Amino acid sequence: MSKPKPAPLPAGTVVGGYQVIKKLASGGFGVVYLAEDSDRRLIALKEYLPASLAERSPGELTPRVKPEKQPLYRLGLKSFFEEGRSLAQISHPSVVSVLNFFRENETVYMVMNYLQGDTLQDFIVTARDLKRDKVFRESTIRSLFDEILRGLRIVHQHKMLHLDIKPANIFITNDNKAVLLDFGAAREVLSKEGNFIRPMYTPGFAAPEMYRRDGTLGPWTDIYAIGACIYACMQGYPPNDAPQRIDKDRLGLSLSRLRNVYSDNLIEVTEWCMSLDPLSRPQSVFALQKELARETERRYTKLSFSERLKLQLENIKTGAKA
Amino acid sequence: MRFSVYQVSRRGGREKNEDRMGYCYTRDSGLFALADGMGGHPEGEVASQLALQTLAALFQRDAKPVLKDPMRYLHDAIMAGHHQLIRYATEKALIDTPRTTVVACVLQGSAAYWAHCGDSRLYLVRGDKLVARTRDHSYSELQETLAQVVPIGERFNRNVLFTCLGSPGKPVVDTVGPLILQEGDRLLLCSDGLWGSVSDEEITAQLSQRTIADAVPELVEQALRNGGPKSDNVTVLAVEWESSEDESARGISTESLGEEVFASTIQASVGAGSGEPDELDEAEIERSIREINEAIQRSSRNAGPNKKS
Repeated sequence: MSKPKPAPLPAGTVVGGYQVIKKLASGGFGVVYLAEDSDRRLIALKEYLPASLAERSPGELTPRVKPEKQPLYRLGLKSFFEEGRSLAQISHPSVVSVLNFFRENETVYMVMNYLQGDTLQDFIVTARDLKRDKVFRESTIRSLFDEILRGLRIVHQHKMLHLDIKPANIFITNDNKAVLLDFGAAREVLSKEGNFIRPMYTPGFAAPEMYRRDGTLGPWTDIYAIGACIYACMQGYPPNDAPQRIDKDRLGLSLSRLRNVYSDNLIEVTEWCMSLDPLSRPQSVFALQKELARETERRYTKLSFSERLKLQLENIKTGAKA
Repeated sequence: MRFSVYQVSRRGGREKNEDRMGYCYTRDSGLFALADGMGGHPEGEVASQLALQTLAALFQRDAKPVLKDPMRYLHDAIMAGHHQLIRYATEKALIDTPRTTVVACVLQGSAAYWAHCGDSRLYLVRGDKLVARTRDHSYSELQETLAQVVPIGERFNRNVLFTCLGSPGKPVVDTVGPLILQEGDRLLLCSDGLWGSVSDEEITAQLSQRTIADAVPELVEQALRNGGPKSDNVTVLAVEWESSEDESARGISTESLGEEVFASTIQASVGAGSGEPDELDEAEIERSIREINEAIQRSSRNAGPNKKS
């Protein structure tokens, strides 16, 4: 039988001067609440409460950690501090900001800006279900990623990597700003069993070097994920994961489906970011930004007869619909 | 056994401090060691750390409470450190092996034994005299010796070593001992950051005129001053044998220790980086929270009115 998840703090609880309104989300590392500060401003409150290591019955405030799980619990706490430390150094509209960090109930809490809006993932799913020929307009994609890259550039300038960029971690606020979320995965992460895997990756968005132990990670690793996000914005679905691509790479083929829908330049940039060889990708966010911002006349190339034929054959084989 | 020990390590003008030092002891034996991770190769600080950890782990294993054969221990433990580096590089699939120098000294009974590989040195000062000093495994020291026999034209860079741990060839390890110690003898272990900018005469003078607690910081300051803004890492560990009790340095008497006791300033886990979880203690948690809040204050101040991206 699986262990019950630790209970979230009940609505109305006051921690560190913030009053909990409701639970927003819970993940492997803890719980995020919507809360109010003493000036009745809304904030997001993240509580360190690893589901696999801590227990808390409904109505209780202090989590209990079994002695044998203490070392892992403390280790996870370190990662939680890492996230806080990373975010605290950055103050940029495209990166979620930390307002406070405190200790209570024998655990720790991170106070963040409360953002109202939806994740890019939600937008992609909604847009894709409209079944139009384009998921997003090209100009939307370009300006969205221009904003995200500004934030990512600051992250890299602080000698940090995000390492889990994906549509679900890009937030679009109701006033139309793109914000990078969730730096918790940036380093060691807890698995369900309470073992540490490092770093965690999301198939489709994780660069091939993320799968290798001791692969050299760098800005190019985040850039791969950016390329995969652009792909998802055009295609509506995430790309094949890196091991699949190493086995048989269909990226060029599936991108060719987008020809004549999106400009040659945008497709090329995506392919460039998603090169399997880290050295073949843009080596810095700046290099990528320059390419994305290039406002030359957009060229569209139709598929040639043989290319269409190849695509149709591929579609018959995989049963996909063009 | 009774001794005092004092150690200082400073980063100087370098980006990282790749020097490591430390000591450990049982009731009847003491190990003092220092390693200087080499630039120009990957992960110098891992190399120096691994070399010391290996020395400490084998000392703990073999000193029960004395080492049967200190010379052999020194040689084998240094070679084991070398093999650890090769293994580390293989496991991590590094193109190049991390490298380090090492100098280690065992005090046991009334004798000193030491060994070194590379250009980290040991000085032994008795009264106001330099009684012994290791000879660097560098081309320049080799040349000074050879120059008597064969004239060599150009001068070698003192930094170029012909042996170290982690190099493809088998490291050269020189071992010396036993040398019978006298009360008040001072031993000093240092990285080239010290001797590169402070002369042997000055080192000897400082050690003979002051207590080690005064001499060590003074020597390190001199080295950093002479080294200027780009000064190398400077690391010095000094031991005074059978020191008088009123010494302000850390006086250690091992008389009262049981046979099983082992004390160490060197982290004992061999295989650093392979995930020994180091736990946070209360102070560390408090410090982290304080640091994060300071960072929040700083960055929100900087972001102030002229927010630009």
